[in-house]
Amino acid sequence: MFFLCTLLALAVIAAAICAVPLRAKAWTALAIVAAAGIALAVEAAGVLAGGGSRPLWAFDSLMLGPDSGSLDALSAFFVPVIVIGAVAATLYSQGYLRHALAHKSPAHVSLHYTALAVMSLAMLGVVVSDGGYSFLFFWELMTVASFILILFDAERREVRRAALSYLIMMHVGFVLLVVGFVQLHAATGSASFAALASCFAARPFLPLFLVFLAGFGMKAGLFPMHVWLPEAHPAAPSHVSALMSGVMIKTGIYGILRVAAALNDMAALRTAGFIVLSLGIATALWGVILAASQNDVKRLLAYSSIENIGVILIGIGVALLGKAAGSHAAALCGMAGALLHTANHSFFKSLLFFGAGNILTQTRTLSLDALGGLARHMPVTALLFLIGAAAICALPPFNGFVSELLIYLGMFKEIAAGNDTLAAAAGTVALALTGGIVVLAFTKLCGTVFLGSPRTHEVAEATEADNVRLTAMALPLAGILFVGLFPAAAAGIVTRTARFFLPTPTVVNDCLLSPTLAAVGRTAWLLVAVVALLVWLRRRALRGRTVVQGLTWGCGFTAPNVRMQYTGESFAEGLQSIVPSLTRQDGEGDAVGKNEIFPAAHRFDIRRKDRIDNLFAAWWVEALRLLNQRVMRLRTGKINHYLLFALAFLGLVFLLSIFNLIG
Amino acid sequence: MMTTFNTLLLLAVALAIPGVINRTRALLAGRRGIRFLQHLYDVRLRLRKGAVYSTTTTALFRTTPSVYLGAAIVAALMIPVGDLRPMLSFEGDVVCMAYVLALGRFALVLAAMDTGSAFEGMGASREALYGALAEPALMLVAGTLALLTGHTSFARIFAPDLLPDARFAVVLLLTAYVLVKIVITESGRVPVDDPRTHLELTMIHEVMCLDYCGVDLAMIQMGGWLKTALFSLLAADTLAAAFCLRWWTAAPLAVALTGVTVGIVESTRARNKLVRNTTFILTVAALAALAFFTGYLLQLNIGLE
Repeated sequence: MFFLCTLLALAVIAAAICAVPLRAKAWTALAIVAAAGIALAVEAAGVLAGGGSRPLWAFDSLMLGPDSGSLDALSAFFVPVIVIGAVAATLYSQGYLRHALAHKSPAHVSLHYTALAVMSLAMLGVVVSDGGYSFLFFWELMTVASFILILFDAERREVRRAALSYLIMMHVGFVLLVVGFVQLHAATGSASFAALASCFAARPFLPLFLVFLAGFGMKAGLFPMHVWLPEAHPAAPSHVSALMSGVMIKTGIYGILRVAAALNDMAALRTAGFIVLSLGIATALWGVILAASQNDVKRLLAYSSIENIGVILIGIGVALLGKAAGSHAAALCGMAGALLHTANHSFFKSLLFFGAGNILTQTRTLSLDALGGLARHMPVTALLFLIGAAAICALPPFNGFVSELLIYLGMFKEIAAGNDTLAAAAGTVALALTGGIVVLAFTKLCGTVFLGSPRTHEVAEATEADNVRLTAMALPLAGILFVGLFPAAAAGIVTRTARFFLPTPTVVNDCLLSPTLAAVGRTAWLLVAVVALLVWLRRRALRGRTVVQGLTWGCGFTAPNVRMQYTGESFAEGLQSIVPSLTRQDGEGDAVGKNEIFPAAHRFDIRRKDRIDNLFAAWWVEALRLLNQRVMRLRTGKINHYLLFALAFLGLVFLLSIFNLIG
Repeated sequence: MMTTFNTLLLLAVALAIPGVINRTRALLAGRRGIRFLQHLYDVRLRLRKGAVYSTTTTALFRTTPSVYLGAAIVAALMIPVGDLRPMLSFEGDVVCMAYVLALGRFALVLAAMDTGSAFEGMGASREALYGALAEPALMLVAGTLALLTGHTSFARIFAPDLLPDARFAVVLLLTAYVLVKIVITESGRVPVDDPRTHLELTMIHEVMCLDYCGVDLAMIQMGGWLKTALFSLLAADTLAAAFCLRWWTAAPLAVALTGVTVGIVESTRARNKLVRNTTFILTVAALAALAFFTGYLLQLNIGLE
């Protein structure tokens, strides 16, 4: 019945989007997403405001036992995050795809918008189902829909390649999740997340925990399973990148949180805490160092998503360690920080990918070393992008700072209490280093793309993006400013959500974080006020004085040209010289040789590849291919051979059961 | 009352340090030197001037001096002088201070990129890198202080009733040493950077401000003084805590510590080759880690007794 209803709903959505004229498809998709999203978000607000969990559906599935869906505090927290991301992305697509409509067939466009609506609804389905069959159903629906979304420009070879590698990696993750849920069902008779706690309590927790961690980590982009992210994002249209990077990878975090909440035993919590914390540190550092080395806007943003997933995991690790040590304050800080960073990242990453979309449509390129000076031609996009960049660098008065501060506080509380001091110190160092290099990566990005002089003619003639897109960007901007300027209000919501993780809700009162965050809010306002006052004073001081324009000081050289500007590659050169081994440099064309006294024109293209990619081009791939070749000999194409194999298999089963080797 | 006094003292420290540096250098070179408050006269002169802006720059370039100075002011308001109460004090202000200062750095680096000049890009890239590498050292210092006192607010860390065990003095001493090195790094002094170099190619901080003049340059310089002062005060506070000195020693100590150290270092040694700078800063971070680890071991031992 449940699946019948779901399939019927999908069919109705597809029919509605196919039926309306070309220009109305985006609005139809938006109406569907907004209607469903807002209805669910209202319910979620009720749950967050203090209601208990609300049941949504319940039935008996054939394979994995009773299945249900409900809205509890954690789901209720993720619902608005998904709704805001999905609505903004759909609205943005209206403006972004307007020019593409002319040279795509209507069926193609309908398919894209259907997938967009289905993907948004599937993500909502993922966070409200209680696990088991319906969870896996929505999870797979989400994967397939996003695969179709990536394929929008399927005529380009690299897009097909990226989409395929995405599909394959997601299915490796899916298989792991199926294994996890089947094991869970076998152990407890139920495959819902609620049964996890008893399962973890009854047997060694580590195998099942690792299976789930790997399965969800694949979606989240956990190191070293992150390689699909930097390939898929540049290939996908920008609103899809925003949706996937801002929202979809967070469903992986959601899964990890569900599994983490089921751990009860102190030793188990501690082990899990160490695993998650160290994975978080590795993910954050790997992501940020590679982000700083990229020379493509979307690739850089994709690596920065990996880095942020690492930061979120550091928060979860701190929460696990805090809970293990019985330090509820540290656990609350870590968990509140991780949750808030999840929401924050969805805001600023959506905004940044929308900005990247504006750059792409207006200039036709995303290569850092071809752009430049866009702030003059696209001032609104530049301002919004700059705010997003400041937020992602965790700079006050924006939102990223609030969540990172909470994670720091969690770690400092553990250091001060003397629990797992060295682990917490390692987390602190990693987070500080990440924070520093993020500033380098994003000043490089903003500096080479928006500031300075345009490096090509196309860029010099760019115009501002349309108003629909700028409106769509206002939505995540509102989130950034709200959390940044009213952190106490935001922390109230997060603290209430974080209770799902803490053992006894009564231990934690809301008062724990609110004075700190109220002070952070005051500091943010003070900062804004001081800067505004200084801007005003400066303007007043300069009034009536001679203010003239001149050439940039060239240190005595009077004929500067745009080629002399610092490029993205040269900006990150210092960092490259310290950490050379993380990337492999692929060059196309030939550089200027040292012996050329009068160099002619050269074309040279550098790409920094992730060393983890080597894992997928290593010896075992060849071994697998050879094995496959041998197995293929069995495929003779003769029916009598196949019958013989079937007979042999039955005989094998018979023999094994005689000797009691299989039950 | 005490808060206002704290702020005034902080301001005094900020204004005195450049004078002491100049005077120390002059003494060591056998010169009479410029007036003690010459830097104030210079800034007053700049504040009265008009401005020249590069044609490449945008509104960001004009806003940056306000952001840089504003960030330095807000960060400085979190620093206690001795155990006086600073204006802003809350749990986690150690982190907040670092990130508010990072906002200033972010703005200044972008402003340098805004001019489209190769030299300023060079400075921006270096500043971003060295800032990133100095961050872990600062956080480890904060971590060490939190480890010893159990607090994450400067006002609580240096509060008189919370003086840690006397056996921690060695850790605090090392922490103060690390902080002095951070002062040198963050305020662009020899051996990391030389504010008086004549060659743009070798500059870091100064080259980023090449295109600023008049009011804007004055604002950036004042921001720099505040930044130097706040790190010096942290070093002085730590030193005062290590030797259980009275609160009023902190301000003169800060001035003397930075003023004399920087003056002597600048008179006696040359700046690093640029490639050596990363080593220098990473060594500071390693020292901070050493201080943290020593503190941790000491605390374990004391806990066992």
